[in-house]
Amino acid sequence: MTFETVGFWVVAAVLLASSLAVVLTKNLFHAVLYLAAALVATGAVFLLLDSPFLFGVQLLLYAGGVVTIVVFAIMLTERLVGARIAQTSRAVWHGAVVAAAVFVGVVGFLIRAPWPTARPALPADLTPAIGQALVGPFAATLELLGVLLVIALLGALYFARTDD
Amino acid sequence: MTSSPVVWQAIEAFVVLNALLVLVAYVTLLERKFAARMQSRIGPYYVGRPHGWLQPIADALKLMLKEDVVPTASDRGVYNLAPIVFLVPCLLIFATIPFAPELGVADLNIGVLFFLAVSSLEIVGLFMGGWGSNNKYALLSAMRAVNQIISYGLPFIFVALVPVLLAGSLQMSAIVAAQQGLWFVAYPGLGQLAFVLFLVAALAAENRVPFDILEAESELVAGFRVEYSGMKFALIQLGEYAHMLGTSFLGALLFLGGWSGPWPAWFGPIAFLLKAVGIFLLVTWVRWSFVRIRVDQILAISWKLLLPASLVLLLATGFVVALRGAGGA
Repeated sequence: MTFETVGFWVVAAVLLASSLAVVLTKNLFHAVLYLAAALVATGAVFLLLDSPFLFGVQLLLYAGGVVTIVVFAIMLTERLVGARIAQTSRAVWHGAVVAAAVFVGVVGFLIRAPWPTARPALPADLTPAIGQALVGPFAATLELLGVLLVIALLGALYFARTDD
Repeated sequence: MTSSPVVWQAIEAFVVLNALLVLVAYVTLLERKFAARMQSRIGPYYVGRPHGWLQPIADALKLMLKEDVVPTASDRGVYNLAPIVFLVPCLLIFATIPFAPELGVADLNIGVLFFLAVSSLEIVGLFMGGWGSNNKYALLSAMRAVNQIISYGLPFIFVALVPVLLAGSLQMSAIVAAQQGLWFVAYPGLGQLAFVLFLVAALAAENRVPFDILEAESELVAGFRVEYSGMKFALIQLGEYAHMLGTSFLGALLFLGGWSGPWPAWFGPIAFLLKAVGIFLLVTWVRWSFVRIRVDQILAISWKLLLPASLVLLLATGFVVALRGAGGA
């Protein structure tokens, strides 16, 4: 086994374990920490796929950004309010069934696709290619996402407004 | 990875890490001496006369021998893990910093992005500590930290992107190479503004006075680390200073040309170190000269001044680069 194969299995194990822990743990704060671990592990998957740029973005936006905001929400609601909020995943078994169905579906697709045994040769540096794709063929999509974020921002401002 | 085997890289990382720890220890002495001089004091003196040269080592020994107190009401797992989760990103940021051409652990082609991404993970350890301690001061401190880091993360990233745009690369060594002729801090207009904004955002990102509301000793005792003692306290302290030093190195790299300058090649790494320590001293100077400002003032500075200014600056840099082409002045 090569270094990359070992790395992949380790990361996959961490990713699966922490993702399950996010759903199953009772303690809300611990769930967020497991989420952070899962997001970092996802970043490591990107790294194993020779995409350091996506690794960086994953860390910056999700592990650094999204987790921080979730923690902020928990801190504001839980301890300062005084009540302890436990995570209740009531429909765990329904969820498990749906997850299994999705897994079977995805695997069903994958099995039909031909498995390329050799990895296709990559250009030396993928990062410029990503950048050029974003401002070239996907420029309209990028702009639309920007509009979406502005709308979200305006919505947040609307909810946060004071009454006077 | 054939040209540089994994073993060689591991050795390199080991050396850099240990040199870094010594450097961090002595930076604390430097800061104490500097602060003492600013206040007409002498500072550390007795341990290692006459200049207190052995003070950092004595401090380290003392912290290692101290009793490790764990509060009974704490969330044990989170509490114990927090110092490590805090320290690791602070040390990892040094992985991408080249100290001279070809001398560094890994000169990634996304170096600056890696630095920013990894240092943003520091907050996870911080709020783990604040939460796990089960102490209201620690929790308040962690809340303030999250608040502040959400606010200052963005301007810091935008400002760090100005040299990236000017150099046309995220790779640290390429950014230095682009400054062979003219350091970016000397780039007319853009450079000076970006450097000042960088310093302000860095001060806030490092949680230093005047932005140190999260440890505000007069109101929050010591913030999120109030329940930590012994070696765990030392790890947090180490992480904090390593982060500060790392940011200073980044500043020296992005704006002061790294090792480049009008001197022979062998002096390059020393010059780089001096520049980084210079930025560190500048930050220390600010720390010991100003008073802490209020939470709302801190947030106002970020959202109403730094963020718009850094966005406009980034846009202006984009125009300049589009007109003149990337790759140095």
